[in-house]
Amino acid sequence: MIALEKIALRQGSFELRDIGLELAAGEYGVLMGASGSGKTTLLEAICGLRKIASGRIILGERDVSQLPPAERGVGYVPQDRALFPTMLVREQLAFGLVLRALGQAQIAKRVNELAELLGITGLLDRMPDNISGGEAQRVALGRALAHRPSVLCLDEPLAALDEELHGEMCRLLERVHRETGVTILHITHSPSEARRLAGCHFRLADGQVQRDE
Amino acid sequence: MSDPAPPGFRSASDKPFLVGLAVLGGSYLLIIGAMVLADLVFLNYSDRPVLGPEMVKQGRYTGGEVTVSVEPSRGYFFRKGKNDAGLQLGEQHIASDGLFQAAAGQAVLLPHASGRPITASLRPEARVLGIAVTNDVATVTTDVAHGLLWGEFIRVSDAGGPGWDGVREITDTTTNQISFAVANGAQSATKLSLSKPNPLVQALRSRDIRFSIKLSLISCTLTTLLSLWVAVPIGYMMSRFEFRGKPVIDTLLDIPIVLPPLVVGLSLLILFRYMPEWLSDAVVYKWPAVVLAQFMVACAFAVRTMRVTFDQIPQRFEQVALTLGCNRRQAFWRVIMPQARGGLLAAGTLAWARALGEFGPILVFAGATRQKTEVLPTSAFLELQAGRTEGMLAVSLIMIAAAVVVFITARTLGMKRIFA
Repeated sequence: MIALEKIALRQGSFELRDIGLELAAGEYGVLMGASGSGKTTLLEAICGLRKIASGRIILGERDVSQLPPAERGVGYVPQDRALFPTMLVREQLAFGLVLRALGQAQIAKRVNELAELLGITGLLDRMPDNISGGEAQRVALGRALAHRPSVLCLDEPLAALDEELHGEMCRLLERVHRETGVTILHITHSPSEARRLAGCHFRLADGQVQRDE
Repeated sequence: MSDPAPPGFRSASDKPFLVGLAVLGGSYLLIIGAMVLADLVFLNYSDRPVLGPEMVKQGRYTGGEVTVSVEPSRGYFFRKGKNDAGLQLGEQHIASDGLFQAAAGQAVLLPHASGRPITASLRPEARVLGIAVTNDVATVTTDVAHGLLWGEFIRVSDAGGPGWDGVREITDTTTNQISFAVANGAQSATKLSLSKPNPLVQALRSRDIRFSIKLSLISCTLTTLLSLWVAVPIGYMMSRFEFRGKPVIDTLLDIPIVLPPLVVGLSLLILFRYMPEWLSDAVVYKWPAVVLAQFMVACAFAVRTMRVTFDQIPQRFEQVALTLGCNRRQAFWRVIMPQARGGLLAAGTLAWARALGEFGPILVFAGATRQKTEVLPTSAFLELQAGRTEGMLAVSLIMIAAAVVVFITARTLGMKRIFA
């Protein structure tokens, strides 16, 4: 689950205050809001990449407000995907697992499993600059899922994709959600995307998060 | 409402703009190329003859043609001055610089016009009169003053016996004699030819310059490693963290770049007056001073480069790495440094090149003691001071070669990174 309680954070002159949000375990939540309303900032706060001034962040029954990002058990897919340019796709998927000192065989098994789920088995030995935008999105998703996080944070994952890929990625996200049961918080601009994917709709406006029914 | 384009509208040609770019850029490139080429071409790579004293009293003759007596069938070296048309020996006319055999006993220097001083040079080729060997040291007597100095190198050829031919260091000189070591048990030769090796050979043979090449290579490499060691953390810190006093630190980091190099050396010298005696004894006017002086300037450039490198790597990568389970140290080593390799290489190359060319601070802080604190720029300076332009040029060529080798190596390594 994701629960934000009275979060306040400040970034220069930009400020969010008294933010509350609750998403049950295994749900698919979509957060919408105008550009500059602070969606990404909020997502970064959940991941622990941005300090909050006050409030509590609870991820999967744990209060993670004071924990470093590494210990929060989140998977983060930023808007620009940020695939590590010096690593093979295989290494990207294995990155979180290597840090957790898993055995070679275990890592290989998990990487293959993920590659199959995301349909990127053929890309494992490529560098990120040799794959297309849609493929990069899948790799970024796989990298974030590898260490089995309880929460997946997606920052406009479908923004830069064309119509056809868009539909394909939507189906993939649905499948990932169904098969892994991970709690997903997904930021988007597109109402149709939100309608299609989400069980839960949130709107960030004027420094407040509202739940749309 | 904006007016539609009038019929027949044509935008002005791009040609003047593109030509302007090409001319401005091209002229600079041309100068760079010409500059390096001039160095390479100017140096005469052939051996030079050993010459006797000047026979034309410079600037003395203004009354037109001048007659100088020469020895028939002897070799002479003629260099034409800017006021002269050439040299006439009977039927023989010499109009270009170089060695020639005199065909007559009288040489006439021909000026372009009467009333201007003759500036040509005419020098006899030194001939070997006697050869003696004692304790494997050969002493060669020449018929004229040879002008060679102790420590210079001489090429011996056509000696006919083993143990003679080759480039020898002159161990002793008098006006008409030079001595040099020959191989163990070499028999005295009856004849031999002497010539001066070209300045590049002289430079590469010279113990002083060999030392300075060695010190330059070692100190530059040391400086580069030290610079990177310092520049990586500072560059990363300045790129990633916001803290109070950052603008002040930013300015401080630029001081060595902005400050005249000489002042850097002077400041170091004065700083070490406040250091404990054992430390300043160990550093000032010794080789560590060379490294420190190079480091102070080179490091500032490395810091700049590393900072720009880190600035160009988005913070997103670290953020993602952090969520994947890295701490900051792991994110830095696993994700950021692999991406910064190109920048690291560039910073290293820049630091190395800066260190190689550093002169002012070294002169002030480490001195210019031969075989102690002499680096290549110091050698070039000492050669120039001694009036040996060609020696200086030879040292410059060594520096160019060193820089080219380092740049090509760095580029190749960089390419490998890109194409691998």
